[in-house]
Amino acid sequence: MAKFNFLRVSIAVVAAGLVLGSCDQAAPPTVGAAPTMRLLSESQYRNTIADLFGAHIAVGGTFDPLIRTNGLLTVGATNARITPAGLEQLDRMARSIASQVVAEKNRNVLIPCVPASQSTADDACATKFYASVGRLLYRHPLSPEELNSPVAVAHSAATNLGNFYDGLASGLAGMLVSPSFLFSIDTTEPDPNQTGKTRLDAYAKATRLSFFLWNSAPDDPLLTAAEKGELNTKKGLTTQVERMLASPKLETGTRAFFNDMLAFDDFSKIEKDSIIYPIFSAVVAEDAKEQTLKTITDHLIAQKGDYRELFTTRKTFMSGPLGRIYRIPIDRPDGGWMPYEFPEGDPRAGLITQISFAALYSHPGRSSPTLRGRAIRESLLCQKIPDPPGDVDFSLFNDPNSPNKTARDRLSAHATAPACAGCHKLTDPVGLAMEKIDGAGQLRTTESGAPIDTSGDLDGVKFADAAGLGKAMHDNAAVPSCIVNRMYSFATGRVPAREEKEVLDFFEKNFASAGYRFPELLRKIAVSDALFAVAAPEARSASVPSEKDDQS
Amino acid sequence: MSNPMRPTSYLTIARRSGVALAAVCALFAGPAVAASKTLGFVITTWNTGLYESKFIDECPQGFNIGYDEIWWRGISKTDRARLTENGLKSRLDRYFNAIRRGPNSEDVCMNPTVVKDPPLLTVEGKVSYGVNLDGNDDGSANAKTCQHQNFTGLDGTPSVDNQMYRLLGCIYGFRSYGQFEVNANENRKSNGNGMTLIEVTGVDDPKNDSEVKVSFYRAIDQYTLDGTGNFTPFASYRIDAPGGKPRYSSSVKGRIENGVLITEPGDVNLPFYGNYTYMNQEIKEMRLKLELSDDGASAQGMAAGYYGVDQLMFYIGGLGPISSTAISNCPSIYVAAHELADGYPDPKTGKCTALSSSFNFRAVAAFIVHPKTAEQTAASGR
Amino acid sequence: MSVLLPSAPSRRQVLRGTLGGAAVGVALPFLDCFLNENGTALAATGAPLPIRFGTWYWGLGHTPGHAIVHKTQTSAGIEFLEECKALKPLEKHINYYGGFNMPLDGRSNYTHFTGWVASRTGSAPSGNNDIPAPTLDLLIADSIGGNTRFQTLDVTSVGIPRENYSARSTNSRAAAEASPEQLYARVFGSEFMDPNKADFKPDPRVMVRKSVLSAVSEQGKALNNKLGTSDRARLDEYFTSIRQIENQLDLQMEKPQPNLACSIPPSPKRDGSEQNMPQGLEVDTVVANHRMMSQILAMAVACNQTNIFNMVFSDNFSHMRRPGQTYTHHLLTHEETPDKVLGYQPVAFSFNCRTMDSFATFIETFANIREGDGTLLDNALIFAATETNYARVHSIDGVPVFTAGRAGGRIKTGMHVVGNGDPITRVGLTAMQVMGLPLDKWGTKSLQTSKTITEVVA
Repeated sequence: MAKFNFLRVSIAVVAAGLVLGSCDQAAPPTVGAAPTMRLLSESQYRNTIADLFGAHIAVGGTFDPLIRTNGLLTVGATNARITPAGLEQLDRMARSIASQVVAEKNRNVLIPCVPASQSTADDACATKFYASVGRLLYRHPLSPEELNSPVAVAHSAATNLGNFYDGLASGLAGMLVSPSFLFSIDTTEPDPNQTGKTRLDAYAKATRLSFFLWNSAPDDPLLTAAEKGELNTKKGLTTQVERMLASPKLETGTRAFFNDMLAFDDFSKIEKDSIIYPIFSAVVAEDAKEQTLKTITDHLIAQKGDYRELFTTRKTFMSGPLGRIYRIPIDRPDGGWMPYEFPEGDPRAGLITQISFAALYSHPGRSSPTLRGRAIRESLLCQKIPDPPGDVDFSLFNDPNSPNKTARDRLSAHATAPACAGCHKLTDPVGLAMEKIDGAGQLRTTESGAPIDTSGDLDGVKFADAAGLGKAMHDNAAVPSCIVNRMYSFATGRVPAREEKEVLDFFEKNFASAGYRFPELLRKIAVSDALFAVAAPEARSASVPSEKDDQS
Repeated sequence: MSNPMRPTSYLTIARRSGVALAAVCALFAGPAVAASKTLGFVITTWNTGLYESKFIDECPQGFNIGYDEIWWRGISKTDRARLTENGLKSRLDRYFNAIRRGPNSEDVCMNPTVVKDPPLLTVEGKVSYGVNLDGNDDGSANAKTCQHQNFTGLDGTPSVDNQMYRLLGCIYGFRSYGQFEVNANENRKSNGNGMTLIEVTGVDDPKNDSEVKVSFYRAIDQYTLDGTGNFTPFASYRIDAPGGKPRYSSSVKGRIENGVLITEPGDVNLPFYGNYTYMNQEIKEMRLKLELSDDGASAQGMAAGYYGVDQLMFYIGGLGPISSTAISNCPSIYVAAHELADGYPDPKTGKCTALSSSFNFRAVAAFIVHPKTAEQTAASGR
Repeated sequence: MSVLLPSAPSRRQVLRGTLGGAAVGVALPFLDCFLNENGTALAATGAPLPIRFGTWYWGLGHTPGHAIVHKTQTSAGIEFLEECKALKPLEKHINYYGGFNMPLDGRSNYTHFTGWVASRTGSAPSGNNDIPAPTLDLLIADSIGGNTRFQTLDVTSVGIPRENYSARSTNSRAAAEASPEQLYARVFGSEFMDPNKADFKPDPRVMVRKSVLSAVSEQGKALNNKLGTSDRARLDEYFTSIRQIENQLDLQMEKPQPNLACSIPPSPKRDGSEQNMPQGLEVDTVVANHRMMSQILAMAVACNQTNIFNMVFSDNFSHMRRPGQTYTHHLLTHEETPDKVLGYQPVAFSFNCRTMDSFATFIETFANIREGDGTLLDNALIFAATETNYARVHSIDGVPVFTAGRAGGRIKTGMHVVGNGDPITRVGLTAMQVMGLPLDKWGTKSLQTSKTITEVVA
C-alpha cells in the first residue's frame, strides 16, 4: 500500500513538473449549473480594491450579512441581494474609495494622465482612466456604452463642481456601485465545439478562476489571456493556472477559503467575559485567528504539506499575546511572529487544539463541547447535525442536589432524553475531547475541582484527548472528502449537484494520489472542465437550500 | 523552533525546544543529569515597607506637615495674599514659591541644609516589617551599627531593624495610599521603566531546594496587562542588555523552603523608576523572601537591607511638585535621616550612612528572554 | 409632502369594513395613508404629521406567570407583574396581546427562529435562515416609507450588525446599525439637513450624486438581458435600492419643512473624546447602548428622517450576560434550575426584567418628544414581539406581543387582547391595516388570517 501511494505521488509530482494534466486523465464531464450572478463578498470586494488601487485605500463600512450555505458564505453570495441600507453603505464606500483614488497624494500613481486643466472636464483623460480601471473592475473590456457612461458623468460633474478630479471621482464612484462591479455575472457564449451547447465566455472563466484561486478580481495578464482566447485552450489555461498558483495571491485566496470554511468571520463578534477570562483580549482574538491561518497557509502552500496533517501538526507560529496563553517564551514580545513547534507529546497538536478553534466555538464564559463538536462535524467533516428539538426542557436535567461538575456529567444527563441523544452522540464525544482547553484556549485539567475526561471516539476510532482526536481526524476519510466538496463549492459558488458526485470522487481520488497536497487539488479543479461547465440559462437551479448557523 | 534563544521558563521545561534544552544540559548539568528548572518573575508593585495600624497609633502626633504649610506659616499675611492670589492659588500652583523658601530663594529640597525646619515626626510604634539586619539584639552601637531602637516583627520576631520605616512612616506621601507610593507604581505600570526581573535558576524542586541562584535584571518590554488591567502572568520579557551585556545582573544565593524562596544577604543593584525619577537602587546585604502561589502564576515578597541615606535623599529631593499632594518636607527628612541612619558607619566620622529598610513587593510569573549570543544571532539568520 | 389632503371621512369606514373580514380592496390614497386624520396632530407649519411604524425586538420571551396577569377576555386594563413592572406607568400607551398561537402545519419549530419569522412574515419558515416572505415593517415601508431620507432605520443594541429581524427574503437582509456612533453619523452626520435652519442652499454635490446613480441605473438595465428570471428579480431589488438613495438625494435638494419636534440630539461620543461607547453583550452595555440608540432613533423619526424603524434590543438567542457569569441569558433559560419557592429561574428572570425595563425606556423616549398637541408616540405604532413564549421549552404558542402608541388616534391603547388560540398573524394584520395598508388578509396556511382585532381599532 505504501509503495502504491509512493508511486502515485511520484506520478503527480512528475506531472506537475511537466505540462500539467498531460499524464493523468481529465475530470469526468459534468452538465454544470446555470450561469450565476454572485454578489462580491466583503473579502472579494476588499481584495479587489487593494489589488487595483493599493492596500492603503481604506474601505470602511458594513456589508449586508450573507447566509452561510453549504458551509460557505461565498456560496451564500450567489443568491444574495442588495438591500437599500446595504446599497447606502456600498455607495458611501464607493465615494470614499473614489475620493481617495483621486486625492492629491495618489493621483499621480493611480491616474494615467494629467488633465489639461484641473478646473474643467477632460474627456480624453477620463476615458483613458475609466478604460483601464473599468476593465479590471468589470472584469472585461468596457463596451462603448459602459465607457461613455462614466465619461459623461465625469464631464457634467467636473463642470458643475469646477474640478476635474471631483468629476473623475464621481464617475469612479458610479462604477463602484454598478451591478457590473458588485455582481460577478456569468456571461455565456455558444460552445463552438459542441453544437447547441453554451459555455462560459473567456472573461467569465477568468473571473471564476480568479475569485477561486485569489479571492480577487482577475489581473491584467489573466484578462489579456481571456481576450486572446487563450483560456479556451488547454495550454493557455494551464499557463495561467500555473502562474496563478505561483503567485503570492494564492495565499490570499487560501486564507479567504479557510476563513470562510472555519467560519472565522465570527471572530468579528467573539466576546469573552473579562472577569472569567481576563487574559483574552481583542488582540488575542486577532492573533489566534491569524495563528491558525498562518499555520494553514505555511503548511499547505509554503511547505506543500499533506492536508490531513493540519490536524496533527505541532508546528505553528507564536506572537506575544498568544505566548501568554500557551505559556511559551516569546523572543520578541514587542511584536511579530516566530515559528514554533510544540514538543512531542504536548497536548497541543493540530488545528483544533489552537486557541482560535477552542475560543471561537465556546461561550463568553465557558467552553462548549456541543459547539465544538458541531463545528468539527459540520465545518471539517461536512456532516450535517440536525437542529435541536423545539420542545425539550434542558433545565430538568440539572438536579440541584447533585450538581454536575464537568461538561461530560452535564451532557450525559442531557443526552438521556431520546430526543437529544441522536445528535449529542455525534457532537459530544468529539466536543468533549477538547474539554481540557477552556473557553479562552487555556489548558486545564479540572473543572469545578473534578478531573476532566477527554476520551472518546470518532466514528469508531478511539482517542484519549484532543491530540488523539486530531490523529483520528487525520485518518478519517471524511476529512479530505469534505475539503474537496467545500473547495469545489467555493470555486463554483454553488452547492455541488447530486449528479456531480462522480466529479467530486475524481477530485478526491486525485487529491489522495497527490499525497493530499492542497495546491494539487486547486490545480486539478482549476484546469477541469467542471469548473467552467454551464447549463443553459433557462435550466437555472432554484435557490440553494439554506442552513442553520447558530445554536446553544 | 527555529529561533534559538535562552528562554527562562517557569515550570514548563517540557515546552522548550529540544535544541535549547540540549544546550542547557550540555552547558550546566552534563548530559546524564536531568535539567534543572528555572523560575522567572517580573516585579509588579514595589512599596516601602511601612507597617500601618488601623488608627495610625504608630504616629501619635499625626502626620507631618509639608513644605507648603511651613512656607505658609513663615510668610506675612501680605505676602500670602500677594503670592497666592488672595489664597486662591492651589498648593500645586504655588509650588515654586513655596519650595524656594531658602534665605536666598534656594530650593529647599535641593539644598535641605539652608533652613532649619521643625523636626520630623517619626514612628513611635513597636511593630514593623523587616528583619534583624545587624544581628544586634538591643540596637546599641557597635562597629556595624549606630544606636537605634529595634522593632518587633509582625510575626513576633524580635530585634527587627527598619529605620527607614521610623523615618518615613509618618509622612502621608509614603503611606501605601500616599501620592509617592501610588504614583510610583502607576508610573511603572504605564510606562514600563524600571521593571525588575527575578530569575531563579538551578531549581530541582520548586517547593524545596537547598541551593538556587537568584538573579536580578531589568526588562525592556512593557508590562502586559489583561482585560481588567491586571498584570498578566507568563508573558515574555527581554533583559535590558545593550550589546548583549545585561545592564543589571546582580545575583545572590538562595534556597526554597516549603515554596518560600529565601536568599542569603548580598549587595544588589536594582533598577528603580517612580515619580518620574530613574535611578539605581543599591541595597546592601539585601535578603529576599518570596512566597510563591500554588499555581505558580504569582508571588509576593519582602526585600530587606541597608539603603544609603544619600541615595534616599537623591530620590526625595527629586520628587518635586508631587511633594505638594504627598505632604512632605525635604529639610526635615534630611535631618532625621542622618540622625536615624543605623548602618555603614563612616570610618572617619563614625556616623552611619545607611538606613535599615524593608520593601514589600508583588510579582507575576514571567518568561525571561536572555540576549542572544553572537553565534545564536548568526544561526538564526538575524 | 406638504400637501394637506382633506381628511378622509371614509377612513374609519374603510377600516371598519376591513374589520368585518370583507375583502375590501380599496387602497387608501398614498399620501393619506400616513397622515394623521384628526386635527390634533398638526405641526407648527400646518402640515399634517406622518404616522410612523416601528418594531422592537427582544429575545427569549417572558417568564410565564410573572410578567402579565392572564385574562380570558379582551378588555381594557393590563395587569403587570414583577417582570413587566416598568411598563405599569405606561399602561395607557400600550396594548398587550396574549394567547395567540403559531400553528406550523407540521413544520419544525426552528428554535428561536420560527417564532419571530412567523409573527413578522405571516409564514412559518421551512428551514433555519429561511425567511419566506417580507417582514411586516417592509410591507409598510413599501407603502408609506418613500418620502423620507431613509426607507427604514434598522438598529441593534447588541453590537452585531447581522442581528436584524427585518428582511425581504432569506437573501435580502440588511445589516443593522450596531453602534450609537455609526447610527448618529448616518442620521445626523454631514448629510443631515436641519429643518429648522433658516438658510438653505442645495449642495451641488447632491445633484452630481444623483446624476451618477441615474447613469448607473441606466447602464445596469442592459444587464437584464443576460439574466435568468430569479437573477433578474435580484437585479430589480438592486434598482429599488438605487431608487431609495435617489429619493434621499431628492429630499436633500429641497428645503425641509420646519419641524418643532426636531432637535439634533447630542453626539454619543463621550466627553468630546474620540472614544466610542463600549460594545458587547454584557447586559449593562446592551442597556446603555439601547438607551443611547433609542434617543437617536426617536429623534431621527421626529426629524422625519424615516417613518419606519426597527430596534433589536437583544438577539433571538439572547447572548446577553452579566460580568463574571459563565452562563449567557440563553444558556440560563435552559440550564438554570428553577427556584422552588419563587417558581422561576431567578437569574434568567433578572435578564427578562432588564429587557422589559428597556422596553419601557424605548416607549418613554418616544413619549417624551412633543409633537403637535401630543407626542411622537401618539403618532406612531410600535410592534414589539419576541420569538418564544417560554424560552426554557421553546414554546411558541402564546408568544407575547405588545403594541405601543396610538398611530395618530387610529388605535386604542390600554387594552389586554386575548387571542384564544387564534393565529398570531392577527396582530400583524391589524397593525398593517392601522398603518393604512389595504390588506384584507395576511399570512399563509394556518397562519393566514383575515380577522382584524376590531376591539383595538379606534
